[in-house]
Amino acid sequence: MLNGLDIEGSSPLHRMPVRGKLLLLFVAAIGLFLLSDLRLLAPALLLAALVYLSTGIGLAEAFRRTRFVLFTVLLVAAMNWLVHSPLEALAVFCRLSALVLLAAAVTATTGISAFMDEIARLIAPLERFGFARAADVSLAVGLVIRFVPEIFARYQDIADAHRARGLPVRPLTTLAPLIILTLKDADTIAMAIDARGFRRH
Amino acid sequence: MDIVFTAATVSYAGRVALHPLDLTLGERRIGVVGLNGSGKTTMARLVNGLVKPTAGTVTVGGLDTVKDAEAARGRTGFIFQNPQHQMILPILAEDIAFGLKNRGLDKAEIAGRTEAILARFGISHLARRRVHELSGGETQLGAIASVLVTGPDFLILDEPTNQLDLKNRALIERTVAGLPEQVLVITHDLALLDTFDRVLVFHEGRLAADGRPAEAIRAYREVAAC
Repeated sequence: MLNGLDIEGSSPLHRMPVRGKLLLLFVAAIGLFLLSDLRLLAPALLLAALVYLSTGIGLAEAFRRTRFVLFTVLLVAAMNWLVHSPLEALAVFCRLSALVLLAAAVTATTGISAFMDEIARLIAPLERFGFARAADVSLAVGLVIRFVPEIFARYQDIADAHRARGLPVRPLTTLAPLIILTLKDADTIAMAIDARGFRRH
Repeated sequence: MDIVFTAATVSYAGRVALHPLDLTLGERRIGVVGLNGSGKTTMARLVNGLVKPTAGTVTVGGLDTVKDAEAARGRTGFIFQNPQHQMILPILAEDIAFGLKNRGLDKAEIAGRTEAILARFGISHLARRRVHELSGGETQLGAIASVLVTGPDFLILDEPTNQLDLKNRALIERTVAGLPEQVLVITHDLALLDTFDRVLVFHEGRLAADGRPAEAIRAYREVAAC
């Protein structure tokens, strides 16, 4: 299990400043939504996949991380197939999948600390007008990224406990303890944040 | 530095977790023992302001943990039972630096103090390691370093040797013994307390005994046997 979602490496994306990566992702997202020609969207998807794999993540891990979102993209594309046309569905699939892979590439090459610093810098102007506390927002984003893999690991533990007791792994019996344990952990983490003085009151 | 409890009481939904407590703690090494649910963790959390007294006061070096909460908290550090939960960033050095960053220090000072605290605990080689890859003892040391880097005078450790093997337990015992800061340790590991200055025994939300380790542990064994 990875703790945090970034992987160590020295790919060009790893070396690029966080702001540059976020800016490129933003521009790519706008570009992908402006394109509607499948002859351009299909190569764009291929390029996004290559960018993602250039981070050194490995095919299996790359698929493991994005499969749930890609499955959702597939459902959206299927709906478009039914409502619009097969071509439209393919375009939607290429567009959204390319975006998912590019975002995953940014996540895989950006440490949580650097990401939090950048978020805080980007939100700082809002703080001046009293709309948000930059440090709190960046801490919240960092916590989500940091603890998402722990929640998956916790689910795995609960599923293993079911199997060990010879019980079938059902959503109802796994999700309830997962939610309870996650909330319990969240209480402790909130207390630890207070104890370490990360939030100013 | 003195920690002073004055009729400090804690109740949750009508249930008293800690009966009025009057106590002054000034020793360097203080142990706290008691059965599960005896009030020892509640008492320790009062010191850091994680729990607010429903009546009475707690002061840390003269600072009220309610009225001067932030300043009082700055003088105390707290290590939780599961130190993984207090490691907010996945890389050890980043997590240690994060505490300093929040205090608005410049980059050079943050880097210097992070390196110094890692060196102090002999864990410089772990600086770039992911916290979930550390052993139990290394995680405890990392958590202690991440708390002490901000310079508290008083450190609270909640069952620091819980779930550690013999080797790591010895490592933590040596580390705690060598800390120049004042330390309060909540523990079920009675051997850890042999060299302590004072041991408090809690039972059913009250201070049941208070004294040198040998006599306090004897009293603890008696209340535990009831």
